[in-house]
Amino acid sequence: MDFNDNLPIYMQIMNLIKSKMASGEISGGDKLPSVRELSKELKVNPNTIQRAYQELEREELVFTQRGMGTFATEDMEVIKSLKRKMARELVNRFFMEMKKLGFSIDEVKSIVFEWIEREDGE
Amino acid sequence: MKNIVEIKGLTKKYSSKVALNNINLNIEKGKVVGILGPNGSGKTTLIKILAGLLRQTSGEVLIDGRSIGVYTKSIVSYLPDRSFLYKWMKIEDAMNLYKDFYSDFDEEKFNELLSFMKLERNMKIDALSKGMHEKLNLSLVLARNSKLYILDEPIGGVDPVARDQIIDAIINNYNEESSMIITTHLVRDMESILDEVVFLKEGNIVLTGSAEALREERGKQIDDIYKEVFGE
Amino acid sequence: MFKYMKYEIRGTYRYILGVLALVLILITGLYVYIDRMGRTGEISAIGGTFMGLSVMILFGTALATFLYIVGSFRKELYEDRGYLTFTLPLTGNQIVCSKLIVASIWFLGLGIAIGLYNILMVAIFAPVEVSLSELFREMSAIVAVRKVLFSIISGIFSIVNMLIIIYFSMALGRVTFRNKRIGGLWFIIFIIISILLGSVALTISDYLPYYLDLNTSRIGTLDSIRINYQINIDVNAVAVKTSSDMATINIASTIFNIATTVLLFLGTGYLIDRKIDL
Repeated sequence: MDFNDNLPIYMQIMNLIKSKMASGEISGGDKLPSVRELSKELKVNPNTIQRAYQELEREELVFTQRGMGTFATEDMEVIKSLKRKMARELVNRFFMEMKKLGFSIDEVKSIVFEWIEREDGE
Repeated sequence: MKNIVEIKGLTKKYSSKVALNNINLNIEKGKVVGILGPNGSGKTTLIKILAGLLRQTSGEVLIDGRSIGVYTKSIVSYLPDRSFLYKWMKIEDAMNLYKDFYSDFDEEKFNELLSFMKLERNMKIDALSKGMHEKLNLSLVLARNSKLYILDEPIGGVDPVARDQIIDAIINNYNEESSMIITTHLVRDMESILDEVVFLKEGNIVLTGSAEALREERGKQIDDIYKEVFGE
Repeated sequence: MFKYMKYEIRGTYRYILGVLALVLILITGLYVYIDRMGRTGEISAIGGTFMGLSVMILFGTALATFLYIVGSFRKELYEDRGYLTFTLPLTGNQIVCSKLIVASIWFLGLGIAIGLYNILMVAIFAPVEVSLSELFREMSAIVAVRKVLFSIISGIFSIVNMLIIIYFSMALGRVTFRNKRIGGLWFIIFIIISILLGSVALTISDYLPYYLDLNTSRIGTLDSIRINYQINIDVNAVAVKTSSDMATINIASTIFNIATTVLLFLGTGYLIDRKIDL
């Protein structure tokens, strides 16, 4: 993984785990890799991984069991709302970018519909 | 003892040239600290003072609460920026030397590091390439269970493959009980393993802090901040 | 410290053994040649060249070996090796002491080996047959055990003393001038210190002319001990007869020499611990 984003690395790691949880690659109740394992895998300072896990725990996306490790939340509602939140952020960004390119809302709408129709057609 | 290294008012002069100017720096236990700066910024001077190869002109330097001497040398694992082993040695001899002098040397760990680095115990030190030298030295240094590791330009002058291997070895062998000081001017390759950064410019600390906080604060990678500070 | 000596020895023994082999071969050659010349009484051109060359090589080797042995300390100060040595958990004194012991062992070892070999050669090539037991009986009659002990001790002491002055000069040279290129500087410092110490010792012995006679354990001025230098060297160079007075030492200058040796030793350790900038 390349940390070229200008976000702090712990946030980039949080986002990585979040998107894996949203996509189902990590499902509810799954054990997350240990700090050390993930540190080796991503070549990132273990303290940074620790920080990412702590923040995820504060957001109640993961929980820690003493001596067992860190697990993804089993609460499906939380995962659902995570997915919604991520979707919202994506759509937000999409519209912001389109706006920057000078498209009006109606133009954006028609572009989106065109795209959906083409996808359906295939 | 929360701080493994405490530096107060450290100044080093070479005759008239000031190499380090009134440096104040504490390093906490368990942290990986990057000392960043171009050549001639005083990085190596600072490191050599900590390793016991240079004496300060004035100021106080404590490692684990003790001034530099036999005790600090026994708990500091130092990787110089050059090859330092006797030429007549084989890798095995170098290992035995470390075993003889440092009670914290872990032979098993060393064997793992050697095979990770693809080095053989019976290789002659004289016949090693620059990159292999660097890998061997790092293996020796990391195989110790020291309180403080000091790595001077661990990836300077080696090819990208060796560079990756070296960074992997550093991460794999880092443990929360010890601290690490790494000097480098190759910030991009190292930045994800640093907790704290210290920017040294012409013997002065111009910026210091947690790497993540700096990224958050400035919305930039440490590498970009480096370029800004040193105006590349 | 003994661990450090181990690595010091392992780093140098190959060179020392090589030198020893070369020297012994040359010495053998010389003896063989002299022996033949003694019998035939003629000097061939090749033989002459061989002798001259051998003597030159012997001197050259002696000088090279000397520099090699003391160079082991110089290398720590002037080359990258110091990065290992001075980060080992050893005090300056321990490092200097190890270097000193190993260097002394080499000098003594080489000296004794070559000396014994010479005696062997003489025994083989000497025109007069001398039985070894007779030789020893004769020698013990002339030379008191005390005197032998004394000459061994004073021999070792003068080696140690010289080495210490060299080490101190090297350390001082390194500390005073950061520029590594003026590496030959230590030799100048060495000469200055040697002259200085020598003249002070002489002056002291002039002012305090009290001597210890090692044979009689009497203390007094030279007159009172009765000086009587008489050295007869046997034609066969087998036995060296000396009068008893060879074993008198000036008390004050001896104390001075020992004290300066100790001080220079501690001084070298101090320079390494506190002043060396690599």
